[in-house]
Amino acid sequence: MPETILETRDLRKAFGALLAVDGVSVQVQAGAIHSIIGPNGAGKTTFFNLLSGNIRPTSGQVLYKGRDITKLPLYRTAHIGMGRSFQITNLFPNLTAFENVRLACQAMGRNNFSFWQPARHFTRYTDRTVAILEQVGLAERAGQLAGTLPHGDQRKLELGIILGADPEVLLLDEPTAGMAAEQVPELMTLIQQIQQQGSKTVVLVEHNMNVVMSISDRITVMHQGQVLAEGTPAEIAANETVQSAYLGGLYELDQQDREPAA
Amino acid sequence: MNAQTTGRFAWKSHIGFIVTVVGLAALPFIMAVMEGLPVGSLLANDSSTAKFLQGLLVEVFILAVFAISYDLVLGVTGLLSFGHGMFFAFGSYLTGVLLKTFGWPLWAVLVGAVVAGLFNALLFAVVLPRVKGITFALVTLGIASVFDILIRTQELNPYTGSDVGLQGIPRPDFLNPVDDRLRFYYVTLAFAILVYLIYKRFVDSPTGRVCVATRENENRALTIGFNTFYFKLAALMVAGITASLAGMFNTLYKPLVSPEIAGLGFTVEGLLMLLIGGIGTLSGAMIGAAILRLMEYYLSRWFGESSAFILGAIYVLIVMFLPYGIVGTWRLRRLDIAAGRQRLLSMFTGRQRETPDEGKL
Ligand SMILES: Nc1ncnc2c1ncn2[C@@H]1O[C@H](COP(=O)(O)OP(=O)(O)OP(=O)(O)O)[C@@H](O)[C@H]1O
Ligand SMILES: [Mg+2]
Repeated sequence: MPETILETRDLRKAFGALLAVDGVSVQVQAGAIHSIIGPNGAGKTTFFNLLSGNIRPTSGQVLYKGRDITKLPLYRTAHIGMGRSFQITNLFPNLTAFENVRLACQAMGRNNFSFWQPARHFTRYTDRTVAILEQVGLAERAGQLAGTLPHGDQRKLELGIILGADPEVLLLDEPTAGMAAEQVPELMTLIQQIQQQGSKTVVLVEHNMNVVMSISDRITVMHQGQVLAEGTPAEIAANETVQSAYLGGLYELDQQDREPAA
Repeated sequence: MNAQTTGRFAWKSHIGFIVTVVGLAALPFIMAVMEGLPVGSLLANDSSTAKFLQGLLVEVFILAVFAISYDLVLGVTGLLSFGHGMFFAFGSYLTGVLLKTFGWPLWAVLVGAVVAGLFNALLFAVVLPRVKGITFALVTLGIASVFDILIRTQELNPYTGSDVGLQGIPRPDFLNPVDDRLRFYYVTLAFAILVYLIYKRFVDSPTGRVCVATRENENRALTIGFNTFYFKLAALMVAGITASLAGMFNTLYKPLVSPEIAGLGFTVEGLLMLLIGGIGTLSGAMIGAAILRLMEYYLSRWFGESSAFILGAIYVLIVMFLPYGIVGTWRLRRLDIAAGRQRLLSMFTGRQRETPDEGKL
């Protein structure tokens, strides 16, 4: 019986009258790739924001390794081992790609209040940064300002920032959003590699059904803030409710996603 | 930014710094020579024109420190403080009161100014976790206004001189701008240089980098695990101490305290210095302070009454044509040049740029 690393109990978030997340209970197994899918507006990003502490739930609980982290301050979640990427690119735009990752590396160390040594002298962070930039394929862009990177590179940088903290759980909200189609497999392979090498847990929101079906260990389907179904990729593919309510529609959506890049 | 990771441009900025420091250190002597005075008379504190110009530069150094401290809060850390003038005014008043009413020795006044700076920083920090952005601006403005009102009250008249301000403050022997202006000049110059170097180091340090990250994207800084409150507090404390010390030198130099420095106008003047020099550039703040003070002086000397109008026109021109200030625009240009060169290079080496960023949100 694999261990549950992340769990929500009857999680709810209301924006005024709208229940963006409406009683979601999910268990994420340690070491798994657990995908959350669902149509636009299903509440996936809101659910992620609740997991990572970016927003507070109206009711319900989030448990990490059995510990209630519902009220944990946002900055603490990184320290207990959760790393989060954003659907809408969320970087330090006027800092270099290098500095973006270096900051993430520094955040987990004990030198945050060294106010006298130049940051570049702390080689344990700079070396690590170089390695991560290499890993996500941004080594050549290290000196470029994050805000001026092409969109695809910004997505890679998002991933690089998470790796900086070496988290146990990676919460990836559409890591390939807006990327050119030919770049998507590369990034997904990279995510798989990272997950396997570090035996990490990945919670993934992704619209591309081919990707989701091929790499997920488990899939949760969300619809209007609620869990519509949960199971292995095979079970989800065979699930009739999902088929009629969602997958049929998603096929079109999937096509649209690809068009601009083609 | 490039310079930091590769160290390629570092020597250039050092040259600028060294030339400035050497130039300012030599300036009193150069001025004496230009006036045709023997250097001896300068040391004997005789020449009145040279003495006057030294005084003007002392004011520049003090304002430059005030401006750079504001830049650390506003430009580097991104804290929209509209009460920064209070840090300076508090130090000014405290120095005056301690010297005049309580007769403290200079070293004790200095300690007092540092403590006062820390106290002010904590005062601003108390509201930090609750208010952000424009609300923080209003709250700090409010705190500063309370201070402004307090020092003008009749009840505190014996200490602060209310609307008239503090006058007749005794001058300590060691730092007496009348008897030995040259020493005062070098002490304030050294102070300004020291502050600049400390600030540079601070901003380059791990702590300072997080301050910058907080300005850039506080939500992201929190998400990757920084408790940004402490970094904002650190910036406020460093700025609070330096601004308070600048206020102390201001009182020692004048030696009087005018209630004007406690008003919003003085903070706005600091803001102008940042705008002229370039927000978030540190050196820009100091250059902006120098330009502002020198322009104020020379324009009013040359044009008299109409100088305010000319000054206003120049500000507008600077903001229009150098939207990032003098230093900010210069750095951007340099980046542009570097990027252009890279583009050119990639055309020759045939390395393709990636797809245009349509999906950018
Ligand atoms: N801060 C907010 N205030 C009000 N409504 C919000 C807020 N954030 C999200 N919503 C609403 O909550 C619902 C769920 O949004 P959410 O972004 O979680 O969906 P999603 O599943 O991530 O969609 P997508 O696939 O488009 O990313 C939407 O109807 C959205 O408009
Ligand atoms: Mg979303």
